Amino acid sequence: MAKPNSAQTALDLLVLTVLNRRGPLHGYGIATSIEELSEEALRVEEGSLYPALHRMEELGWISAEWKMSDTKRRARFYRITTAGKKQLTAESERWTSFSAGVSRVLRHA
Amino acid sequence: MSWFSRLRNALSPRRLDEELAEEMADHIARRATALNQEGLSPEVAQRQARLRFGNSTLRREESRELRVLATLQGTLQDARYAWRGMRKSPAFAVTAVLSLALAIGANTAVYSIMDAAILRPLPVHEPDRLFVLSWPAISDPGSPSGPERESFSYPQFLQFAAATRRAARLGLFSSPGVAEVRLSNPNAPIEKVNRAFVSGEGFDMLGIRPALGRLFSADEDRLPPGPGFAVLSYEYWHRRFRASPKVIGQQLVMNGHAYQVIGISRKGFFGVEPGKFADVWLPATQYEARALSDPGWHWFGILGRFAPGVSPEQIQARLQPSFHDFQLQLIRQIPTMPPDIRKQFLESQIRVHRAANGASQFRKVFSRSLWIVLGVATVILFIACANVASLLLARATARAAEMAMRVSLGAARMRLVRQMLTEGLMLSLVAGVLGWLLARILAPLLVNLLSQPGDPIQFVLALNTRVLFFCLGVSTLSALLFGLAPAWQASGQQPVNSLRASTGQAGKLRLGKFFVSIQVACAFCLVLVGAAFLFSLFRLFRVNPGFDPRNVAVLSITTDNNTTDDPVASSESGRAEEAHLRQIMVQLQGRVSSQPGIQAAALAWWPIFSGGGWSEQVIIPGKGPSEREEIFYRVSPAYFTALRTPFVAGRDFKLVDNSGQQPEPAIVNAAFARKYFNTPNVLGREFRYVFASSPLRVIVVGVVSDAHYYDLRNPADPIVYLPLGGNRSFTLYVRSPLQLGQIVRLVDREARFVGSGMRVREITTLEEIVGNTLLREKLLAGVGGACAFFGLLLAAIGLFGLLNYSVGRRTKEIGIRAALGAQRSEIVYLVLKEVTGLLGGGLIVGLAAALAAIAIFRSLLFGIQKADPFVLGTAISLFWVIGALAASLPAHRAATIDPVCALREE
Repeated sequence: MAKPNSAQTALDLLVLTVLNRRGPLHGYGIATSIEELSEEALRVEEGSLYPALHRMEELGWISAEWKMSDTKRRARFYRITTAGKKQLTAESERWTSFSAGVSRVLRHA
Repeated sequence: MSWFSRLRNALSPRRLDEELAEEMADHIARRATALNQEGLSPEVAQRQARLRFGNSTLRREESRELRVLATLQGTLQDARYAWRGMRKSPAFAVTAVLSLALAIGANTAVYSIMDAAILRPLPVHEPDRLFVLSWPAISDPGSPSGPERESFSYPQFLQFAAATRRAARLGLFSSPGVAEVRLSNPNAPIEKVNRAFVSGEGFDMLGIRPALGRLFSADEDRLPPGPGFAVLSYEYWHRRFRASPKVIGQQLVMNGHAYQVIGISRKGFFGVEPGKFADVWLPATQYEARALSDPGWHWFGILGRFAPGVSPEQIQARLQPSFHDFQLQLIRQIPTMPPDIRKQFLESQIRVHRAANGASQFRKVFSRSLWIVLGVATVILFIACANVASLLLARATARAAEMAMRVSLGAARMRLVRQMLTEGLMLSLVAGVLGWLLARILAPLLVNLLSQPGDPIQFVLALNTRVLFFCLGVSTLSALLFGLAPAWQASGQQPVNSLRASTGQAGKLRLGKFFVSIQVACAFCLVLVGAAFLFSLFRLFRVNPGFDPRNVAVLSITTDNNTTDDPVASSESGRAEEAHLRQIMVQLQGRVSSQPGIQAAALAWWPIFSGGGWSEQVIIPGKGPSEREEIFYRVSPAYFTALRTPFVAGRDFKLVDNSGQQPEPAIVNAAFARKYFNTPNVLGREFRYVFASSPLRVIVVGVVSDAHYYDLRNPADPIVYLPLGGNRSFTLYVRSPLQLGQIVRLVDREARFVGSGMRVREITTLEEIVGNTLLREKLLAGVGGACAFFGLLLAAIGLFGLLNYSVGRRTKEIGIRAALGAQRSEIVYLVLKEVTGLLGGGLIVGLAAALAAIAIFRSLLFGIQKADPFVLGTAISLFWVIGALAASLPAHRAATIDPVCALREE
């Protein structure tokens, strides 16, 4: 398991949020969504997205299947699962309290 | 993603690969399109997209690892790769596999024999509750004590059974011996079987159930014995009676008595002695009547089963009082016993040993030799492993560039090591299978070597699970031994160096040199030990036995209805019978020796060199009984002529000489004269010996030169020869240049003429008998010699391989030297310098190991000093020759390197 609050969990959180909000997407779609939603503040190194996606697939948080895409080639579409939704809730709560804590420290430092 | 799909991905990696590639390529394509739409040219967009993506190969690897049973896929990959590698270099693969297979096969064969003889438990019910009784041997003062005695008498058995009544059950088991048997119909031929005696409850004690009919019970222990019953072994029943159930109730005739077959023992039970198979069991009470009541007649072993919760110490405590009583009784019977011996008897304690694997004579005699042979086989394995290791090393260094590439691509070191180990494992597993097959052939061969016709040894050499595990274990161990070091070294390549394709990495060859040194050390050790065993055998052969064993046939003759080989009892009717027997014996001797082609014929009771003997204390007038018992041997006139033992003084026996005379005429050998009279002139001297509690006077009428009696190893013992009396069974020595078959027919004819049921029972030659005592030495010499040869061969191949490779690598260097004007001889010297270093180091280590080994095995060698010059000289010179041969080809190749070609080479 990744260390809590590491870059890996952050990425997981982002992916799960995107998939939760926007429904099934392929890898490229996920990457662009993250960029878009964060207003260019977060730029994922695109290659590292895929091992993360496959890892989450292993853990059962997302599921994948090959479908025909708009470019008339097939692509692998990912969607969030029930377990993934549960994980998302838990992780986002932790993340919110973590960042609130950090902000408080910064305010009073 | 389930475990199942992981497995599926492992088994079809290509599909997974394609999928991953496709997914990532798709991503890059989309990014490129997006960039293109933003205004970049297609090529630039593509490049940018790729850059933004990062290291796709690495990501693919990461993803693949996640989605697959990584280890399994890795192993399969390695295996496939290794297999391809083997097929590409078949010469290397075949050499490696063959040499390993030979070594593994030899080890497995020896281990399977050890398992059958020493390690495997008896196929009986709960074998770990069995025990065997023994007592320490009484040794002559000054000589080392022999193995424990496991023979007891029948009265002892009865007493012991009473003493341990509730703590254990005892059973009596005799060692199987060859006996003659025939079916009850009158014209049935006489056959030979292995016969053993067992007490009534013996089978039950062991938990053996009958396969057919019934086995003995306590009824069979009643004395006087009733009509005799017999039990056959399953294997004999199948072999001889074709498993016909009609055999129950049939009569077998042995020694003139008829025994009814009442049952067959269960399949797989052969007796309690590994190495000996019993075909027929008779109740113990059917043995010689005199033996059953004589407390000093030790003729069988006692096995027992502990009652639950009983320990060996408790049994020992119960038995010791009765045992001590018997020892006291024995001492009272022999008033002339020397005090030293008497003390040993009084202090001897009966011993109780756990006997889950039976009581085995074979184990006692051959155990040490077997361990030695196993040790030698292990050394061969080391050599083979070192050989393969150095070959692998050479190959690995050749693949240095490939390894470096992999390292630079991000391969972990463990991964590379694992891959090379898989290669090694594959080699050794194939070699293991071949070795297993080889062991199936070798093991029976080895047992055959040890077996004699009069004393056959058989083993159930089932290659069972234990042996299988041993074989696998050895294979895996050898794989690790020879695979680990090259793998570690190869994977530790610095990519930069290898990719630069520079040569001259002197350090890399150090490991190879080390392996060759190991091979040389092991091979030299083997050659030394093998030479020691060979010389030992050679020197034994050259010992003068004191007689001429060539052209002498040895025939065992018997008259019908023979019960035992013991001398006829001296009762009145016994004396008449004895006289009659003597008469027909003399008649036979006379008739045979007068035939054309026969040079001489002589008689004795049992043949020499066969382990049988009769010894008594010698009482010199005025000095009291001797400490040692000396050998007494009854022979006919013309014995010394037949065996060509020269006389030193006096005369041979005459027909009128017989054992009834007072004093009895005797012929002694020179050793006897020296020992007891301190002079070779002993004609007319008298001494006495005790027989059946009465002292008998003996006068010396002749002195012969020393001759060996039991074996060739010890110097000749003192022997007293006495005139031969009549006996139902005796030995006929015939000296003749005729063929053995002709001699047998001749003797048979004469025996039938003489009549009284006289016939030939066994045939052999004196050379064979003497040779049989050298069995262990022959085994050691044969195995030692073969292993030494094989080890030498392997070491030579290793040496050659390494030198060849080294020359190949230094071609450029040699080319430069040659171009700069180096002479051929200088180049050859350069190459040979490497050899000498390797040989020298290995020789020294091997020498030390071999000398240590020889010191440990002194007792098995004959006539070999601690640093025997012959042995050392032979071994060293052999090694120089081999070393020179191995080096000659590479040296020649180095010397004939054309500088121009060499410098052009990459």
